[in-house]
Amino acid sequence: MVKTVFDDIKNTLKGVEISETSYDERGYHLAIESQKANIINIVEFFDGKGFYLEDLCCVDYKDYLELVYFFNNHKELCRVKVALKVESDKPAAPTISRIYTIANWYEREIHEFFGVYFENHTNLTYLFLHDEIDCYPLRKDRVPVTEDDRRLLNSFKPEEYEDGFFINLGPQHPSTHGVLRVVVKMDGEYIVSAEPVLGYLHRMHEKMAENRSYLQFLPNPPRMDYLGALNYNLGHVTTVEKLCSITVPERAQYIRTITAELNRISSHLLWVGAFVADLGGLTPFLYTFQDREHILDILEGIAGSRLTYCYFRFGGLYNDVDDAFIDATKQFIKHLRGRFGMYEKLVTKNVIFINRVKGIGILEQDKVPKYGCSGPVIRSTGIPFDIRKTEPYAAYDRIGFEIPTGTIGDNLDRYMIRIREMEISLNIIEEAIEKLPSGPFKAEKVPKKLKPPKGDIYHTVESPRGELGVYIVSDETDTPYRMRWRVPSYSNLMTFPYLAKGELISDAIATLGSYDLVIPEIDR
Amino acid sequence: MGKGGFYLETKGPIIKFAIAEKFINLARANSIWPMTFGLACCAIEMMAAAMARFDIARFGAEVFRPSPRQADLMIINGTVTKKMAPTIVTLFEQMPSPKWVIAMGNCAISGGPFVFEGQYNIIEGIDKLIPVDVYVPGCPPRPEGLLEALMKLEEKITGTRRFPIPEQKW
Repeated sequence: MVKTVFDDIKNTLKGVEISETSYDERGYHLAIESQKANIINIVEFFDGKGFYLEDLCCVDYKDYLELVYFFNNHKELCRVKVALKVESDKPAAPTISRIYTIANWYEREIHEFFGVYFENHTNLTYLFLHDEIDCYPLRKDRVPVTEDDRRLLNSFKPEEYEDGFFINLGPQHPSTHGVLRVVVKMDGEYIVSAEPVLGYLHRMHEKMAENRSYLQFLPNPPRMDYLGALNYNLGHVTTVEKLCSITVPERAQYIRTITAELNRISSHLLWVGAFVADLGGLTPFLYTFQDREHILDILEGIAGSRLTYCYFRFGGLYNDVDDAFIDATKQFIKHLRGRFGMYEKLVTKNVIFINRVKGIGILEQDKVPKYGCSGPVIRSTGIPFDIRKTEPYAAYDRIGFEIPTGTIGDNLDRYMIRIREMEISLNIIEEAIEKLPSGPFKAEKVPKKLKPPKGDIYHTVESPRGELGVYIVSDETDTPYRMRWRVPSYSNLMTFPYLAKGELISDAIATLGSYDLVIPEIDR
Repeated sequence: MGKGGFYLETKGPIIKFAIAEKFINLARANSIWPMTFGLACCAIEMMAAAMARFDIARFGAEVFRPSPRQADLMIINGTVTKKMAPTIVTLFEQMPSPKWVIAMGNCAISGGPFVFEGQYNIIEGIDKLIPVDVYVPGCPPRPEGLLEALMKLEEKITGTRRFPIPEQKW
C-alpha cells in the first residue's frame, strides 16, 4: 500500500517532494512537503484514493507556521503527513473544506488559535473561544487579534426566519451530556439545520502541555476524557515512550491492556445507561451504574482514584497489581456476563426502545471518509476499523479478538456494537489475565526529566469513543514544543448536522446520544 | 453580573415569623432539589452520588430538576470557562430564592489544575461570580464528599446537624 501510494504520487503529481519515513520512529509512512499552489491537488489525490483526513493541525515555528495534514486509510494502514509552510506574518492558506467536510472545523480551530486565514472558507467564525480574547493563544509570541478577526468573534446571530424558529439545545441541557450547545433551526417538529457551538469547556490542555514537562502533564489527559481516562493516559504515555525509545516490560503491557479494557467497559456501561435515559427509560441507568461501581472499586484498588486515573507511567506502571485485583477482576467478569441477559430483556428486546432507534440517524458507508469518524460510529457502518487491530499497542497483538460491525449505521447498530464490545472486552481481559507473565512492572533507568530527540511523532490508540491521536513535536527540551490531540468525539460530532437534517427533534436527541460524546474531550 | 440573585437573597421576606421560619427551614433542608446541571468530570461523581450505591435520596435531595425555576440548589460541578460563565450566572438568577450553591471540585473552588501563568479561558473560582455556601475539595471529590456537603448545607440552613459525624478510624 505504502509503495503504491508513493509511486502514484511520484507519477501523477509532478514536482511534489515526497520522502519515505520510518514508521517505527515517526508513526507515519510518507512525508510530503507541499506548496500553497499544489496543496489542493494533493488533497484531491488522497480523496480520490479513499483516504480520510485523520488530523489537521498547526505548529508555530516562529519564522513560519506549518500546517500539518494527516491522511490515513480505513482499509490498510498507510499514514501520510503533508506539511504546508505559511508565513507567520498574515498567514493564509487555501481551504480544503470543500473536499473534506471535517476540515471545516479543523480550519476554524486553526484560524482562532493561530490566526491562519483560510481563503474561500464558507464560515470562518470563532468556534471555541470567548468574546474577550485578545490574542491567538497557541502562537509562541503574543500576536493580537486583527480587526478582521475581531468582527468574527461571537458573530453568530440567528437570521430572521419567518417559517419556523430556533431552539438552543444547551449549553445547559440534560441530553447534551455536558455543555455542548447546538443551535437548531426548526420547522415545526422537524429540524431544518443544526449547528453545534463548541468551546464551553475549553480547558487549554494543548497550551498547558507547552508549559509543563512530560511528567507534569501526566494528570491532564485523564481529565480530557474522564470516562476513558486510562485510554487517554495510555495514549499519552505510549507516544512519549515511542518518542524516547523506552521499552516497556511485558508484564506492564498486559496489565495496561487489562486496565484499559476495564475502563472501556465502565465507559460503555455509563453510555448504555445515559443513552436509554435520553430516550426516556431511567431504570437501566441505575443498573449500569451499579455494575460500573464494581469496576471503579477494582481500579481504585490499584490506581487510587475513582474516576480520573493516572496509573501508567513512562516505562511502565505506578505500581504492580496483586492477587486481590486478579480475583476481583475474575469475579467481575463472571458477574457482568450474568447481567447481559438482563440488559437484553430490559433494553435490547424492548419494543419501545427498538422503535425509537431502528432506522434513525443512518450514516452511509461512503460518507465516512469525508468526516473521519471512528470508533463505534464507523464500525456501525460496516467498516471493521479498530486501532487495536491496525496499529496494535500494549499487548493487543498477542490477544485474539474480533471487531463487531453493524450493517446500516443507524442508532440501533451503534447500540448493539457497544454491547458486543463489552462482551469482547471481557474476553480480552480473561485472556490477558491467563497470559499475564511475571517480571518487573516498569522499565529501569527511565530518567525523571525526559529529553526526547528532536523530531515529531504521531501515535494513535483506540479510546472507547474511537481513534485518539497524539502528535508531539519535540525540540530536545523537557517540555513538548507542541502537543496536539486528535480526539474522536470531535469528528464524530461533525456528522450530526448531516444526520439531524430533516429528522424529528426527539430522534435527533437519540442520534446525539448515540455518539457517546464527552465534551471536555471535544473542547480540550 | 451576579447582582440580581444575590440582592434578592440578602433582602429576604418582608415579614418574618421566627417559629414558622424554623419549621420551614427544617423542611427545606431535608428536601433540597438540586439542578440537573453537569459541567465536567465532577458531574459523573454527582451522578454516582444519585445512583443506587450512594443514594442521595437518603437525605432527601434526589429530585434533580432540569429547570432552574424548580431547583433550589445549584451544584457547580466542573471547570467554569469564560464562555460558560454568563450562562451559569443566568441560571443562578433564574432560580427562585432561597437558593444555595455548592462548589464541587477544585476547578469550581479555585480553577484547580487548570491555573497556570498565561491562562486565557477559565474563571479561577466560581465564588467570583455567585455566592457559594459549601466548598467540596477533590479532583474529583468522592460521592461521599458531596453527601457531606449536603449535611453541611443542612447545618447552615437549620443551624443543627441531624446526622452525626462518623467516627474517624485512622
